[in-house]
Amino acid sequence: MLDVALVLASSGCWFAGALLSTASRVSERWTLGLGLLGALLAWGASVHLLLGAPASSLTFQAWGHPARLELDALSAAFLLPLHLIGGLGLIYGQRYWPVQGHRAGRTLRFFYGMLVAAMTLLFLARHGLLFLVAWELMAVSAFFLVGTEHERPEARHASWIYLACTHTGTLLLTAMVILMAHRMGGLLWVPLPASTSPWFEGGILLLAVAGFGFKAGVLPLHFWLPSAHANAPSHVSAILSAVMLKTGIYGLLRVSSLLPAIPRGVGGTLLALGALTALYGVGNALAQRDYKRLLAYSSIENLGVITMGVGLGWTGRAAHDPWLMALGFGGALFHVWNHAVFKGLLFYGAGALLHATGTRDMEALGGLAHRMPRTTLVLLPGVLAVAALPPFNAFLSEWFLYRGLFVSLDRGYPWSAALGLVALALAGGLAAVAFARCFGTLFLGQPRSAGADHAHDPASAMLLPMAILAALCLAIGLGAFLLLPLLERAVAVVAQGAPPLLGLGLGRDLRLLAWVELGLLLFVAAGYRWLRRSAQEPEPLSLPTWDCGYAVPVPRAQYTGSSFADAWAPVQLGLRAQMPKLRGLFPGTATFRQVFREPIGEAFLEPRVAHLAERLLRFRRLQPGHLPVYIFYVLLCLLAVFLWMLLRERLLG
Amino acid sequence: MLRTLLPTFLQLLLHGLTVLLLPPLIPGLIAKTKALMAGRQGPPVLQLYYDLAKLARKRVVFSRTTTWIFLAGPVGAVAAGLTASCLVPFGHTPAPISFEGDVILFAYLFGLARFLTILSALDTGSSFEGMGAAREATFSALAEPALFLGFAALARATSSLSLGTMLAFPGTLTAKFTGPLILVLAGWAIVYLAENARIPVDDPNTHLELTMIHEVMVLDHSGRPFALVLYGASLKLLVLGALILTPALPRAAAAWQNWLVFYAALAGLAVAVGLVESAMARFRMTKVPQFLVAGMLATGFAFLLMLV
Repeated sequence: MLDVALVLASSGCWFAGALLSTASRVSERWTLGLGLLGALLAWGASVHLLLGAPASSLTFQAWGHPARLELDALSAAFLLPLHLIGGLGLIYGQRYWPVQGHRAGRTLRFFYGMLVAAMTLLFLARHGLLFLVAWELMAVSAFFLVGTEHERPEARHASWIYLACTHTGTLLLTAMVILMAHRMGGLLWVPLPASTSPWFEGGILLLAVAGFGFKAGVLPLHFWLPSAHANAPSHVSAILSAVMLKTGIYGLLRVSSLLPAIPRGVGGTLLALGALTALYGVGNALAQRDYKRLLAYSSIENLGVITMGVGLGWTGRAAHDPWLMALGFGGALFHVWNHAVFKGLLFYGAGALLHATGTRDMEALGGLAHRMPRTTLVLLPGVLAVAALPPFNAFLSEWFLYRGLFVSLDRGYPWSAALGLVALALAGGLAAVAFARCFGTLFLGQPRSAGADHAHDPASAMLLPMAILAALCLAIGLGAFLLLPLLERAVAVVAQGAPPLLGLGLGRDLRLLAWVELGLLLFVAAGYRWLRRSAQEPEPLSLPTWDCGYAVPVPRAQYTGSSFADAWAPVQLGLRAQMPKLRGLFPGTATFRQVFREPIGEAFLEPRVAHLAERLLRFRRLQPGHLPVYIFYVLLCLLAVFLWMLLRERLLG
Repeated sequence: MLRTLLPTFLQLLLHGLTVLLLPPLIPGLIAKTKALMAGRQGPPVLQLYYDLAKLARKRVVFSRTTTWIFLAGPVGAVAAGLTASCLVPFGHTPAPISFEGDVILFAYLFGLARFLTILSALDTGSSFEGMGAAREATFSALAEPALFLGFAALARATSSLSLGTMLAFPGTLTAKFTGPLILVLAGWAIVYLAENARIPVDDPNTHLELTMIHEVMVLDHSGRPFALVLYGASLKLLVLGALILTPALPRAAAAWQNWLVFYAALAGLAVAVGLVESAMARFRMTKVPQFLVAGMLATGFAFLLMLV
C-alpha cells in the first residue's frame, strides 16, 4: 500500500512539474525539483520492493467498476530505468535546451514531464482501460516531443509517421484488451487460472506481439523508430530509446504473466524474430552517417536481443523448465537495464556533439578527442558497452543469454538456439565494427570541418549525467552478482511457480567473472603505469603521423566511416550507391553518391502508402467542410444506431 | 593441507611463468623454421627477447594527432591476452580460473583487444592505418563465427560451457566425436592463422603499407608501446595455440608429463606455422574472406553433426 502510494505520488510530482513548467512566471527550479523528487520517490519504492517487500496494490472504483494499481517486482524493474533516465534527462535538458532562446522550451518541458508521469502510471496499471489511457498519454506526449522542432519538415514527417504507427499499435492492443476482458470477466487484470484452448492464448499473444512490437521496434514494425530518434531533442531520444521502447517489452511480459500457459512454438518464433531484428538493426547501423540514426538502429538491435531473451523465457514456460525461464527472462530484464544505461549515455553524448558542432553528419567531424576530452572519456565506456565488451555491463546480459541459449541447445530446441547463437555472436561482432567506426570517425584523427575544429566540452550540467551513467556501466559490469537477487524477484513475477535459481546457478560464476574483470582492469592500469615516462627519460618526440612519404597531410584524405564499413555492403540493406558509368579512355567528370533509405519504411511502404492515399482522394467529397453536412452525418449515425437497437431483438431472436 | 595445496600452487606458478616468459619464443621458432626452409641462417630464436629489451629502452615518438586512446591498443591487447590466459587450460593442466560460461568471456576478451587496437590505429588519422583497421575489423568479424561455432559444437559434445571441461574433456572427446573434432580443429587452424596475422591471410614481413593488415595498424607505435604490441601478438600465439592444441593432446598420468607434452606440441605448432609460411604465398586480399568462410563452414558443419 505504501509503496504504490509513493510511486503514485511520484507520478503526481512529474505531472505537477509538467504543469508548472508551462507558467512563464514560475522558476524552472520548481519543475526540476519536483521531477527529481518524483524520481527519488519511485526509486525508493522500487528498490524497497525489489529487496524483498511484498507487492502492494490499491483498489478503487473507476467508471463504476473496480480498478487496481499495483506495484510488483516487474513494475519496479521497469520503474528503475525510467526514473534514472527521466531524472538525469531533466538535469541534462536544463543546459541542452534552455527555455531562453528556444521557442519550444516550455512545450518540451511540459511533454517531457507528462511522458514520465504517463509511463509511471502505465507500469502500475492492472486494468485494461487504465492501461490503454496511460499508453495513449505516453504515445501522444512522445509525438509532441518528437515534433519539438516542428519548423523542420523532417521532424514533422518523423512525428507523423510515429503517430500513425503508435495508433495502429493501440488499435491492436485494444483488440487484445477486449479479448482478455472477455475471459477475465471484466477489465480488471487477474491471472487466468487454467488454459481452455491454446488458440485463445495464441491469439492474445499474437495481438500482443503485433501491438507491443510496434513500440519495441520488432521487425518489420520498426520503421518509425530511426527518424523519430534522430529528430527528437537528444535527451528525449535518450528516454525514448532507453525506456519508452521497453514499454513494449513490459507489455509482452505483463500480458504473458497473466496467461495460464504459453503454447509451444510461440517462444521459438519470438526468439527467431528477435534474432532477425538484431541482425537487421546492426546491419543498418553500419550504413549510417547520421550518428543519432546509428544509435537508433543500434536500439533496434538491442531490442531484438531483449526479444530473444523473452522468446527464450517463453520457450522455458512452454516446456516447464525453470532454469531456461530464469536465464531467458533474467537476461531480457538485465539487458533492459543495461541498454537503458548505456544508450542513455550515448544519446546524451550525441546531444553534446550536436550542441558543440551543429551537425549530425559524422563524416563532417573528427578529432573531437582533442577538443572535447571529457566527453570522450565518459563516452568510451558507453561505446565499449554497446559493443558488448567486458568489463562493461552489456557483456554480462549477453553472457546470460548465451548461457540460456546453450541450455536450450541441450534441452531439445537445437534450431532456434542455433539461430540465436549465431545471431548473437554476429550481432556482437558487427556492433563492434559499427561503433569502432562511429567512435573513430567522430573522435579520432583530425577534424574534417571548421565546425568540428571549434568544438568544446559541454557544461557540467550536461557532463554530470553522462559521468553517472558511465560509472554505472562499469559498476554493473563488475557488481552484477549483487543484482542477482533483484533480478530474481522480477523474474519470479513472469515465470510463475519457478523456484529461484539465478542466485544458486549463477552466483559463483558471476563472482569469479567479476574477479577476472578486476584482473583485466589491474593489467590495464599496470600497462599504462609502465608506459608513463619516468623523470630521467627524454621527452617523447612529437611528429606528424607517418604518411608513407607523402608529406601533405590533408584531413579530408583520412579514412572515412563509409569506407571503413564498405566491406559490409551486403548487410547494409538500405544503402544504395549511385555509380557513374565511365566510358572511353578519358572519361569526363563524374560523381558518386551513396544514399541510405530505410528498407521497409522509406523504400517499401512510403510509395505504396502515397499511392493508396491518392486513390482515397475521391472520398474527399464526403468532407465538404460545411457544418450542416456534418450534423447531418451525426443524425444519420444516430438513426442507424436506433434502428439497430430496435431491430436487434428480431434479427438475432 | 600443505601437501594438497603445494602441487596446485606450483602448477599456478608454472602457468604464470609460461604466460609471462614463453610467448616471444614462438615467433622466434617460426622465423627460424622459415629461414631454414629457405636455406638461410636466420635470426636467433631469442631475437624477439632482444628486440623487446631494446624497445623498452628506446625513446618514444608520438604523432601530434594522437591522444591517450593511442596507448589503449597496446595496453588493452596485452591486458586482455594475460586475462584470457588465466582461463585456458595448457594441455591437460587445468586452467587457474574456470567457471561455467568462461568461454564467452574468453572470446569477448579478444574482441576487446581488437576493438582497442582498431581505435588506436584510427587515432593517428592516417588513411593507411584506417584501411588496416577496416580490414582487421572485417576479417576478424568473419573469423569470430568460426570460433563460436566450434565452441558451440564442443559445448554440445561435453554439455559444458567451461573451457577446462570443453577442451580437456577426460578421454572420450577424441574417441567419441572424432569427425566433428577434426572439423573444429581444421576451422580453428584457419582462425589461428588469421587472428595472428600469418600467411596466407597476412604477411608479417611485407614492406608495402597498402598490402598490410595487422602491421599497418601499428605503423606509428614506437618504443615501449611497440614493445607491448609485439609482446601482445606473441601472447596471442600462445593463448590461441593452447586453445587449438588442447583437444588433440593425449592425457598423461603425471603433471610434469602433461607439461612436457604441451611444450612439445607448442613447438610443433610453431614449426607447422613456419612450414605453412614457407610453402604458401599470401592470398590476394579479395580471397581472404573465402578462406575465412571455409573455416566457418568447417566448424558450422561440425556443429550440425553434433545437432543431429
